[in-house]
Amino acid sequence: MAALLVRGVRDMLKRADFATVPRRQRHKKKWASTEPKFPATRLALQNFDMTYSVQFGDLWPSIRVSLLSEQKEPEPENSQTAAPSHVSWACSPNLRCFTFTRGDVSRFPPARLGSLGLMDYYLMDAASLLPVLALGLQPGDTVLDLCAAPGGKTLALLQTGCCRNLAANDLSTSRTSRLQRVLHSYVPQDVRDKNRVRVTSWDGRKWGELEGDTYDRVLVDVPCTTDRHSLHEEENNIFQRSRKKERQMLPMLQVQLLAAGLLATKPGGHVVYSTCSLSHLQNEYVVQGAIELLDNQYSIKVHVEDLTHFRKLFMNTFSFFPSCQVGELVIPNLMANFGPMYFCKMCRMT
Amino acid sequence: MQLGESGDWYEIPSFQVFDWHRLTPLTWALLTRQTPQPGGQKRTTAFLLRKLMTVSNGGGLEESSFVKPQECAQKPEHTTGLIQRLLEKQKTPVLQEKFVSSLLDMGFSDVHVNELLSIQPGTHPQQMLDIISELILLGLNPEPVCVALKKSPQLLKLPVMQMKKRSSYLRKLGLGEGKLKRVLYCCPDVFTMRQRDIEGIVGVLKEKCLFTVKQVTEILHRCPYVLREDPGELEYKFQYAYFRMGVKHVDIVKTDLLQYPVTKIKQRHVFLERLGRYQTPDKKGQTQVPNPLLKDILRVSEAEFLARTAVSSAEEFEVFKKLFAREEEESEGCVADEESPDEEEEGQKEEQEL
Repeated sequence: MAALLVRGVRDMLKRADFATVPRRQRHKKKWASTEPKFPATRLALQNFDMTYSVQFGDLWPSIRVSLLSEQKEPEPENSQTAAPSHVSWACSPNLRCFTFTRGDVSRFPPARLGSLGLMDYYLMDAASLLPVLALGLQPGDTVLDLCAAPGGKTLALLQTGCCRNLAANDLSTSRTSRLQRVLHSYVPQDVRDKNRVRVTSWDGRKWGELEGDTYDRVLVDVPCTTDRHSLHEEENNIFQRSRKKERQMLPMLQVQLLAAGLLATKPGGHVVYSTCSLSHLQNEYVVQGAIELLDNQYSIKVHVEDLTHFRKLFMNTFSFFPSCQVGELVIPNLMANFGPMYFCKMCRMT
Repeated sequence: MQLGESGDWYEIPSFQVFDWHRLTPLTWALLTRQTPQPGGQKRTTAFLLRKLMTVSNGGGLEESSFVKPQECAQKPEHTTGLIQRLLEKQKTPVLQEKFVSSLLDMGFSDVHVNELLSIQPGTHPQQMLDIISELILLGLNPEPVCVALKKSPQLLKLPVMQMKKRSSYLRKLGLGEGKLKRVLYCCPDVFTMRQRDIEGIVGVLKEKCLFTVKQVTEILHRCPYVLREDPGELEYKFQYAYFRMGVKHVDIVKTDLLQYPVTKIKQRHVFLERLGRYQTPDKKGQTQVPNPLLKDILRVSEAEFLARTAVSSAEEFEVFKKLFAREEEESEGCVADEESPDEEEEGQKEEQEL
């Protein structure tokens, strides 16, 4: 879990703390059922039991218990704690991240408004930072975040201080306004202007036509079944029966978005595709599908980058699934209850 | 002390300290009557009386509760509690013999008898006999009686009426015929507890949990610790097992489920459930996965539970217990409000999508 400290251009990240956002409290279960018989969260769990028990075999029970148990959350504001024993890891320039050691269930206190009128840190699942780190921004890069809202990864991108221009987009206007607010709360005005952050609400699939061959680095953090979220939150749950069609179309949407992101990359540029789902169909299949599409329809060659070295850096903090065909998958484990987070780095060759 | 029906010697009732002054003249009178010879004996008598006075001014009640006439004159003066020694000698050879022979008749061995006599030396033999008889009548064997009394000597001090009343209540609950042994061992206060506390537990089992009378007896016999539980918590434990885990009455009794602490039950159950290894049966009593046997969940040691039933590591279970404890704490604290105050802060919602 990562929290980012955003103070100003000179005073970049001093400290980042990991924690997740406190999820909404579930209401108490009653002995007699007065809730809907098949809430979406239950449908989600059934779906996962069916697919992931096959996909992960013996690993599934330990993933399942982790998904169903709370993630490490922030402590109540008024409690005083000793400094947690943390592991700090090397990241992109200016990005320092902290997390508690394995098995420690301590929490980070929630972020507060700092002296500059900005929140002092942003709490997120630590694994969410990995795609940003994998992207490997270099100073002066032009960056595109194709599905940016609610903005945690966008912040992290800005945080590296490497973005000459950052384009943040999300299809949903309500979510982009959230994104705007997040940027407003965390990023000082001068940074925002200096980095020339642009927020848009266009259809990500069109980016090939809109801004083809433009960007050095592109992050495609697609909409997915948000596995952990879907097991706990009933509201707007994608496993609701009314959203079944939408859910079934997800892989296709994801391929289109990734393809657009690849098209928007300069030749020689890099793309990272990421989801917070465990599903093969939304992860490896999409990567392979998009690469094939670009090859067949556009004759553009895309090469998948090996992230083994990167993975080794974080092996002590996260649990990685050993058998991904392409990309890396952080799987939740009670000792390190991060993720799920899938990410894959590609390089556009032509 | 009451005028004993079986006693063949005369006892003087005990008085409160403030009544002692009334006794003194009588004692004095007895003593003077008993004094056989003048002279040498006078000194003895005087000394004796002085002792009695000292005792009455601040001595213990026990020491002054009664005086055995002939004993007074005969006993040598011993400064450390003349009266106390007199009291010990209350067990006249005759009574003591009767006591011992009664015990032997009941099946106690010599060893037992000695043990019993040494438990609470101050107790009146008749009292002891009454208590012991009740226990024997309830179906306990001599050895368990000794064990129980050694463990809980306060039983010997119980008023016999209370003992009889409680015994008949326990019999009514089906705890006679030797079933009492285990109960007494685990829960010695079953005789000293308040009637309404026992009734509270029995009431929960019968009326709230709807166990049959036979099942209640079985539960009390096999899991006597339930008598010590808070009735509300016992009811919660039952509800958890019945509704949340889907365990039926028969199985709750058979597997002694109620004896386990509710925390342990919940921890192990929820852990298994989240692993996908336990499912609450649906209306038809079916599950998609075969649930492990209750004994493999609750009766086994933690190590075996983890190795065989959960197939998980000790580390993970430890972390799970901590997380679960926190979840429980928070769900108790959260009354109606679903949103925690933290969530109102900007930029902290929906962290799954970043």
